[in-house]
Order: sequence, then C-alpha cells, then structure tokens
Amino acid sequence: MTNAVAGLGLAPDAAMVTFPIDLFLPGSDIAPVEARKREFYDGLTRWRSAFASDGAGETPMISVQAAGLEEAYARANHLMLANRWGDGLPLWPPTRERVDWILRGAAQSRRRALGTFPPRGGVTTIESCAIALAMAGGRPEYLPVLVAAVEAFLDEESGSEQLQAASGSAFPVVIVNGPIGRQIRLNSGFGCLGPDPQRPAGASIGRALRLMQQNLGGALPGIGTMANYGGMRYTNVVFAEDEGNLPSGWEPHAAERHGFASGQSSISLAFANGVTNIRRRGAKKETPEEDALQGMHRMADFMRVPNMAGLAGYEHGTPGILMLPGVVAQTMAGLGWTKASIREFLWTHSRIPLEELRLAGCPAWIEIDARKVTRESLTLDPWPITASPDNFVIIVAGGGHPTNSYWLQGYSPSVVGRVVEVPASFEGLLADAERDFSLSPR
Amino acid sequence: MVTLEFHDPSGVIAVKQSHAPRIASLAGKRVGFVSNEQWQAYRMLPLLKKLLEADFPGIEVLPIDAFPQGNALIGSEETAALVKQSGVDAVIVGNAA
Repeated sequence: MTNAVAGLGLAPDAAMVTFPIDLFLPGSDIAPVEARKREFYDGLTRWRSAFASDGAGETPMISVQAAGLEEAYARANHLMLANRWGDGLPLWPPTRERVDWILRGAAQSRRRALGTFPPRGGVTTIESCAIALAMAGGRPEYLPVLVAAVEAFLDEESGSEQLQAASGSAFPVVIVNGPIGRQIRLNSGFGCLGPDPQRPAGASIGRALRLMQQNLGGALPGIGTMANYGGMRYTNVVFAEDEGNLPSGWEPHAAERHGFASGQSSISLAFANGVTNIRRRGAKKETPEEDALQGMHRMADFMRVPNMAGLAGYEHGTPGILMLPGVVAQTMAGLGWTKASIREFLWTHSRIPLEELRLAGCPAWIEIDARKVTRESLTLDPWPITASPDNFVIIVAGGGHPTNSYWLQGYSPSVVGRVVEVPASFEGLLADAERDFSLSPR
Repeated sequence: MVTLEFHDPSGVIAVKQSHAPRIASLAGKRVGFVSNEQWQAYRMLPLLKKLLEADFPGIEVLPIDAFPQGNALIGSEETAALVKQSGVDAVIVGNAA
C-alpha cells in the first residue's frame, strides 16, 4: 500500500489500519474492527507522515570494505540481500566502472527520465536500467532492448501499475523482432525461454527488468506485491521471434500487432501468468491435414477454461501468446493456414458454453469488469474468451521439432510495442561481444 | 584493504505532493467511504459507519455506496471529483488485502 501511495507522488507512507488476512475472508469475524476503532479515528485526525515533502534526494553510492576482492564481492552480495535488492542468485555489484561500461550501449543520455516504476514510484532513468543490467550480469549491447522493454512496461496502457502489485503472479513477456535479436544472441530456437549459455541475453535482460520491478517498483514478495506464486520471476520471459523460419506471407509479430516495418528492431511487451506446453503432434498415421487440425483442436481446447485470466485484456489485450515452432509453421502454411486463420480457429473453438461459466461462478467476475465490452460479452453463448480473434498473439519460436507448442496465458490489458534505438557505436559493441564469446572451450 | 563502491539500485522517490492535513476532531464532520467492494468491505465499512456515528456527536457519515465502487472506478478522476463535490472532510478507503 505504501508503494501505491509513493507511486502517486505522495510520501511513501499512509494512515493505514492493517489486519491479518482472515478478517477479509467470507464469513470472517469482523469484531477486530470495533476493537481497533481508535486506530481508524487516529488515522483521520492524528496521523502524520514520517517523510519530509521535499523528496528523497540523490541516489547514494554504497561501499563495502574487505581484506580482498573475493570477500568484498561476498559482502556486497550480502548487503544487497539485506537491503532486499537481490533475487537470491549472485549479483554483480553495480560499480561505477561496470555501470559506465553497460552505458556504452545507451542511445540516449544516462540521465534521460523514462518515468517512475510502479507502484512504488522509483524514478527510472537510462542509468537505472544500466544499474539493473550490471547487477544481472548483462552486457552493453543488451541495454537497448532493456530500455525499450522498460519504456513499454512503464506505458500506462501496459497495466503494470496494477499487475505489479496484484495477486495473480503476472510477469512481463518481451518478444523481440528485427535484427537486434540475432545481433545480441537472443534465443529464438531450442530452449528459447532459457537458460542458454550460448545465448544468455534473454536471461540478463529479463532478470534486470525483474530487479527494476523489485528495487524501483517495490514489488517485494508479500510486501510490495501480493503475487501468490511469482512464476518466472527470476528472469521473466525475453526471447526473439524466429523470423528466419517465418513461412512466406506470414508477417513478423511486430509488423502484425504494432505496424512496425519488417527489419525494424523492436520489442513487444505483454503480461502473462502461466506457461504450459501443449502436445501438438499426432502419434500414429495422421495425414498432414489431420495432424494440423488435431493439434489446433488440442490447443484451442486447452484455452477453453473458465479461469478468467483473459479478462484483464478482454477488449484490447491478449488472452495469451501461442508459440509455434518454425517447422510447424512451415507445414501449416503449406496446408493453407495463416496467422489470421489460426487466430480465427482458436477464437471460435475456445468459446465456453455459458452454463459452464455459471457453474464456475464466472459471470460475477465478468459483471464487475471495468469495460463495457467485457460486461456485455455475457450475452454471448458460447462465451468467447477474448473479444476478438485479433487479440491472440501467435509467435513463431522454439526449436526445430514438431511435437510441442507453448502457451503463455495472457493477463494483459494491452500489448505494448516499442522501437529499439541503438547507439552509433553499436557495431563496435557487437565486435566486442564477438571477441568475448569466441573464447575456446578448455 | 579493498573498498568496493557501487550504486544503490533502489533509486530515488520523487515526492510531488503532501498528504492531506488531518482534521482536528471528527465531531460534527462529514465523512465518506471509497470502497472497492471487495474483501468484506460490504460488512466492515457499515460497521465503521455505525461506530463513528455512535462515538462522535454531530458527525455525518455518508452511505458506503455514496461514491462509485469497485477497483475499476475508485481511482478515477471522476470519482475524485465526486468526492470533492460532496464536501466531505475526511474519507476512509477500503478494503485492500
């Protein structure tokens, strides 16, 4: 709650009366409210903020001293955990030297403000991104993608202000299109959701974004965010679309969803709160047509569940991101399928009979939704899990193997795109990376 | 001895406005509720209304549905304007969980 208050530009505290969760559950004994009524009264009359109104000032530098470098790094890591700045895995201390090195990847001034990170409202700059990327073990050439992802995250349309603190365990998914994916070794193939020592960019960028969510945004488990399970929170999800395996006539995601030109480096950010493998391939003597159609039914059936995650993006967002391997996309395209016809099929076959919705108590959630389009969808039977087929995100990515597809369950009011800007020295950074990644294995 | 100096990754918070001043007493004042209609607010806020009315002479406590309710509505500029127009001296916001 103090995060939310700070995010509004107020001092980071508030007059609150807090109770254990039991009080807020159906059928609870609410007598403690009366027992502590004086605290409510004091909140309206006597409470004073503990913070001055002129802001918190400049970011300080932290220092640790030790007998040697090994011990100094250990102490720095302990200190970062004690301050709740870490994720439990080893961190690079963001020294001036390392942060300045990362900033070689900046296309803008280090002081350029990107906004404030919700809900706590930490002031976010290019330098903030570099600090987080340094901690996450990143490299300068990763910074342009992180900056674009942060810009999208901070876009009001993304829904991050609510999703950062909500219990639904939403995590950002960053899809990269254009040449920068290949240039910075971002994985689009086997194991593209990581980890991958040959293509470590996604892990560092996603981890940096997560550290910013926590350190600037205040999303600490159980304190600043009520995310019950916090899935994918070590690295979020950052990967590239496998544009080299897009079938002829299939546009890259960024062109389809955001209208960016093919060949333009860009990112697309949505929130998800689930990841599931779907066995797509047939097992016996299916014809190619049967194999494709049965796989489509299996995927649509998986989406036809009344768990209401898609309500967050019912009108303009997405019910989820379907990842199809390039080999499957090529086969399906050969049979006449397009991204559009796949979306149309999924929309039609994932609709849920209204009676099933009623049994699961879903109409109440739909009726209280803020958007008229969502509320009015209750007149439809079967009920579509999203307002339009266009809301499904279809991405060609994953290894060259036809058996499985992957479904990132959407929890996303919108899908926000940003062009990636690189510095004039970018080619030099790529050359440095080529040198560093070319060490011979021992 | 080695000194390792590094940036504080939590950055800074820009405080742009002060919290509303508190009122000296609740007696004779007008108090409203802004409710998200969740987490037993429908039981707890009426109880608070009853307690306030019993404890402070001359207080006027508006009904819990005097302003738009629900997470989607309570943070809007429209709701803020309605609260201001109502002339309340204080507001209780609930229920977070």
